[in-house]
Amino acid sequence: MLSDTARSEIQALMGRYPQPRSAILPALYVAQREIGWLPTEAMDEIATLFGMEPMEVYAIAGFYNMLYKEPKGRYHIEICTNVPCKLRGADKMAEHLQKRLGVGFGETTEDGQFTLDHMECLGSCATGPMFFVRRSGSDWGRYYEDLTPERIDAILEDLLSGEDWPMERSPAGPYHHDHHPETNFLLARIDKPDSHTIESYLADGGYQTAPKVLAMSPQEVIDEVKKAGVRGRGGAGFPAGVKWGFIPKDLYPRYLVVNADESEPGTFKDRLIIEYDPHELLEGIICTAWAIQAHYAFIYIRGEYMFGAQRLNQAIAEAKARGFLGKHIFGTDFDLEVIVHRGAGAYICGEETALLSSLEGYRGHPRLKPPFPAVAGLYAKPTIVNNVETISHVRHVLEHGADWYRQWGTERSPGFQLICLSGQVKKPGVYEIPYGTTFRELIYDMAGGTVDDRPIKSIIPGGLSMPHILPDKLDIGIDFESLQQAGSLLGSGGVIVICEGENIVPITRRTLGFYREESCGKCSPCREGVGWMEKILKRVEAGQGTLSDLDTMERVTKYIEQQSFCPFGPAAVWGLQSTLRHFRSEFEAYILETNPDQEKPSLPARPIYRPYVGEPLENMLDD
Amino acid sequence: MSDWITITIDGKEIQAKPGELLVDAAARAGIHIPVFCYHPKLDPLGACRMCLVEAEGRRGKMLITACTTPVADGGVYYYESERAVDARQGTLELILINHPLDCPICDKGGECPLQDQTLEHGPGKSHFWEEKNHKAKHYPLSDLIMLDQERCIVCWRCIRYLEEWEDKPQLGLFHRGGETVIDKFPDGKLDAYTSGSIIDICPVGALTNRLARFSYRPWELEKTPSICTHCGMGCNLRIDSRTHRIRRNVARENAAVNDEWICDKGRFAMGFASHPERLQEPLARINGELRPVSWPEALDRVVRGLKRVVETHGPAAVAAIGSAKLSNEANYLLAKFMRGVVGSNNLDFREGSAVVADPRGIPSLADARDADVIVLMGCDPGEEMPVLANFLKRAVLRGGAKMIIVHPRAIELTQYAAAFINPTIGAESAAFDALTRATLDASDAIIPDWLPEVEEAAQVAGISVEDVREAARLLSQAKRPFIVYGVDYAWGYGARNLVTALTNWVVAAGHGERLGFLHSQANALGAADMGMAPDRLPGHRPLSDARARRELEARWQTEIPTQPGLSYGAMMASTPDRIRALYLMGADPVGEKPADAKALAELDFLVVQDMFLTESAKLADVVLPAASYAESRGTFTNTERRVQRAPQAVRTVGKSVADWAILMHLARRYAPDKKDAWDTPSVDAIFAEIAEVVPAYRGMSWENLGESGQQWPRDAVSLSRELRPHSGAAIPPSPDYPFRLVVGSLLWDGGTVFAATPQMAGLARQAAWLHPDDAARLGVQEGDAIEIRSRGGSIRTFAHLDPSIKPGSVFAPYSFPAAPVGNLFDDYVPRTSVAIEKVT
Repeated sequence: MLSDTARSEIQALMGRYPQPRSAILPALYVAQREIGWLPTEAMDEIATLFGMEPMEVYAIAGFYNMLYKEPKGRYHIEICTNVPCKLRGADKMAEHLQKRLGVGFGETTEDGQFTLDHMECLGSCATGPMFFVRRSGSDWGRYYEDLTPERIDAILEDLLSGEDWPMERSPAGPYHHDHHPETNFLLARIDKPDSHTIESYLADGGYQTAPKVLAMSPQEVIDEVKKAGVRGRGGAGFPAGVKWGFIPKDLYPRYLVVNADESEPGTFKDRLIIEYDPHELLEGIICTAWAIQAHYAFIYIRGEYMFGAQRLNQAIAEAKARGFLGKHIFGTDFDLEVIVHRGAGAYICGEETALLSSLEGYRGHPRLKPPFPAVAGLYAKPTIVNNVETISHVRHVLEHGADWYRQWGTERSPGFQLICLSGQVKKPGVYEIPYGTTFRELIYDMAGGTVDDRPIKSIIPGGLSMPHILPDKLDIGIDFESLQQAGSLLGSGGVIVICEGENIVPITRRTLGFYREESCGKCSPCREGVGWMEKILKRVEAGQGTLSDLDTMERVTKYIEQQSFCPFGPAAVWGLQSTLRHFRSEFEAYILETNPDQEKPSLPARPIYRPYVGEPLENMLDD
Repeated sequence: MSDWITITIDGKEIQAKPGELLVDAAARAGIHIPVFCYHPKLDPLGACRMCLVEAEGRRGKMLITACTTPVADGGVYYYESERAVDARQGTLELILINHPLDCPICDKGGECPLQDQTLEHGPGKSHFWEEKNHKAKHYPLSDLIMLDQERCIVCWRCIRYLEEWEDKPQLGLFHRGGETVIDKFPDGKLDAYTSGSIIDICPVGALTNRLARFSYRPWELEKTPSICTHCGMGCNLRIDSRTHRIRRNVARENAAVNDEWICDKGRFAMGFASHPERLQEPLARINGELRPVSWPEALDRVVRGLKRVVETHGPAAVAAIGSAKLSNEANYLLAKFMRGVVGSNNLDFREGSAVVADPRGIPSLADARDADVIVLMGCDPGEEMPVLANFLKRAVLRGGAKMIIVHPRAIELTQYAAAFINPTIGAESAAFDALTRATLDASDAIIPDWLPEVEEAAQVAGISVEDVREAARLLSQAKRPFIVYGVDYAWGYGARNLVTALTNWVVAAGHGERLGFLHSQANALGAADMGMAPDRLPGHRPLSDARARRELEARWQTEIPTQPGLSYGAMMASTPDRIRALYLMGADPVGEKPADAKALAELDFLVVQDMFLTESAKLADVVLPAASYAESRGTFTNTERRVQRAPQAVRTVGKSVADWAILMHLARRYAPDKKDAWDTPSVDAIFAEIAEVVPAYRGMSWENLGESGQQWPRDAVSLSRELRPHSGAAIPPSPDYPFRLVVGSLLWDGGTVFAATPQMAGLARQAAWLHPDDAARLGVQEGDAIEIRSRGGSIRTFAHLDPSIKPGSVFAPYSFPAAPVGNLFDDYVPRTSVAIEKVT
């Protein structure tokens, strides 16, 4: 079923990784590009190539959304309906699309041109509403942003015309971004033409830090980063230098894994670096790999960032051509291979152990800790997993020194960081700000205030997972400690602003819908509980809620929060817990208004279980 | 107890082993923390979150999973704390929301951990008002196992079992989140040979036994701890019956034998017990036809028939064939009847005296599990003993053991082998000479002059010198090797030389005492222990041992003839010249080799004692209906000399009678004067007699065998192992018969016991395996009908092309009645030269 070209491409991919099984996702992409989807025969063939049981390939394909188990139309349109886009009118666009194409979600138009799906956050929250289009049987896929009904019509026309829109966009594309007057480092270059090329990067003084770092001892590098206090930007805020120090002595090989699986709704900062200044990241990778003495660095990038992956591969090729990557980099004895590994649509793979499972060629289920990745990570070897932004900071810290870095921020949150501002503000975008900048400064001074100057109802301060805070906290600093004191967390730095006039019930319901969709299914509380919470919220929204539902949700979310296997569980319910806490009266009012008699929901008809059901269920219910 | 540490659970101090899991430490102290995903024989997963307890940590008390937490010295844990109890209730409530709660019609109901734990730890009330998730129900994973995805609680036990024990990840998770289901590959199979284990370990009713479902409620079952008699491993199982019918077999734990696993043959192939074609009453040939007769009449006819032959031709004209599948008691009494009552030493069983076996079997099955080097010579545990095969895989994959395989074809375990030696068929002893020489070359031992150079011997055997040196090096350096040879190298042309040659290698490597023979039949070792051999008395004492004879004579009130009897092959060959009467107990020579029908037809008198009207029974003068092992009581001795009990589990079929009882009554009728010697009215009494006359069994009794059996001491039978020359020359090729026949067993064959379970009929596949290149030359394609011919006879079967077959050879499995490979053997021995033709 697979062509010889595809088979040899897969074999080449297997050779790129220390363990060939890691090439399973790339191999499935190759097959999907060729066939348009993944028939079982293709999976069977791939299993043979990898020496695996077909079941293993099937189980992997079944985990990832971007791998198709059935044929799709020529264009697959996935419109983001997650909270940040929803706040910017995604539901209306989704409705328009359905009407225009004459199909519902999950359906394909009769002419086979379009398959329509609703999607979770695609990391384009400041430019929402947006959709992602992929063309079947190709590597072509791109985002269409800032949608309006007219724009949608035009885009569909263009797609039908058969013309290829370039995946590439003008410098920094339609992104809004701005910076604090003092801190403009990570995003300093992204407005320049061709900022992604190595020539542009070198002209701005790039690749001068790496050779300096390679002349230092690895311990000196670790000490400097420790001293700067660079905290992880992926969500947990763990100090990078301290993490690097956990690697056991004399255990080799070691691996660096760059977490570019930016999937937390409301977060889109890493994408800017990847697409518009990839060499900044690569230089950070060189410094980090030297510090931990890793000869392989993997960039695990979410599958939807097709353009970003392309840019990274270009940048790696450029750097290799100049001897900055590969064997004997910068003329030293140090070798470093950087491999871009595309995920395939699974939020959980942003969790570091799930990411490692995925990178090893398994379903992206989180693993037991301990052992921590620094001790036994990728292929059970010491592995450091750091976020894209964290590694980009490393490059600047090592250029200017720890003291320079510490001039900004607070004692325990030193430096600056990229904040993704989305929701109902005038200028949503990525802001590079020192820690400690207040929400008021960010939202009102830098982003020009809220849409239509409506009062703020609630703020999600660190990506959709984090508990909401109320506008009385507008004057607290944006840093790890202040947010913790305010009952939330900084998370991945995705600030989502919700204004008065929004109903909290659908927002909360949509939040849970995301986590139900993305739960990996490993542990019972998360697998069963999150879906349950969404079912209750859907019922409440539909006007069949009772006040006791609120108690049930309070009680059950406690179980999900405290006894799930990995941090996904708490992340899934913090939003609900906080809205129940802050907006309980609104929930109550909604329930009493829509279900004034507090009628209990009718129990659904239970199917009759018989040893053998040979006839349709309806017939059996009659007798 | 210096190796122990102290932990505290709910304020109670408990001794624990360092590093063990909290759940295990607690269980030892009587605190049974509920679990679903945890299973002591599987790697911890931590997925179900049922075993939550509180632990004192640096930041105060925190909830942890007891199944993933190794205990720490001084660790403080709370199992009954309010938060821990509440957390477990919460988990259980969540597990139950999408579970169908169809316990009233669920096979697991009554023995279901989910039910039991809900009773003990559940919240007692559900707050779930929504529609449950719907998934596939009664979804067949194979002919044997049914899946109900709605009942499944996604604990991964089945997935992990297949991965960790079978190394066959044939089940996996599909989708994710609340839609997560267990599934197989759409076009794929669940065909691992121990797949049924996943039914035993499923903590809910998601995986059910297709042959057993809806045929019982667990609490109505009679549960008989027994063993499996399909192979020489003697796995422990439990026979569950209701209204005197076997409903299912489940694994029974015996750490020394099968851990807690059994294979699918042992679990599912139980149709023999209630098969409609079972013999219901004795039959006798009256006017040329077999007709039902009463037991007294049948026994009188046997007595008269045998006596007539004895009177006319002498007792040496009577022969008996026992069975390696029947109990020690049955075989012992048949041998006792022949030697002590009839007065003949013509005693043997198939794969009996013709096989050059080590009478002590293998040193120990447990050795396989922590071996550092594994040597398999001419045996295929993958097909013959799937549970052992899993132990061996695991020793390689987890224990880092190196496996060396010497075999006529690439077997399933070959993929785990560090060295696979595939000698030219008929020149195997040269391969072992090469290994012996390479071993001695690398040591400072004296090299006997009869031993050829490595290169020379390797060339004769058609194997690579590097492989030989690597295998020799591995075995020489082994500390705890597990070394076995099997019937493929111990039977047939030149087997004696071959066994000498392979023994030489093991002796040269310094492991002579570790070498063992892997008996593939359930009681092959026991039957030999019982003296079911032409020249051996019970306890392996030679017939020529006058003292042994005297002891038995006193006990049996008789005189034992001193002239050794004929072997199985010789009996068949000397009918009717020397043998005029034959007594078959559980043996079917005609089924094995239809050509032997002629020999049997020429007999003056033929008695067949069996469960079915076999091909041989159809020729008999008297047919005695025998009970199956599950319907009678008996002991069996497995390949590691473990004597195990198989009590009666269900009542007998029709008028059938246990083998031992038939023989006892027959002997009493035949020789009323020897009544005292036959005062053995029960299996317990017979076993007591065996324990007296078989030295190795001394001290054993039915009672003290217990539920896990007793091994007889390996040094009870002595065997000297030293380097010995042999005359093993390669068998020259034959131009008319260019192929070499390789025989062997498949788990899914067409044998009587297996064929009696019709639900499994689809599993067996009759075929002869050919290399694709040979097939191409013959113009044969997959599935084509072919004829295999030898000088002795021919069979018709279907071609199966497999590149793992050695070119120039053909693999024809035993036990397919339509293609009886026995027909091809010259003088009943494999490794014959054959010709192959396509049937058009």
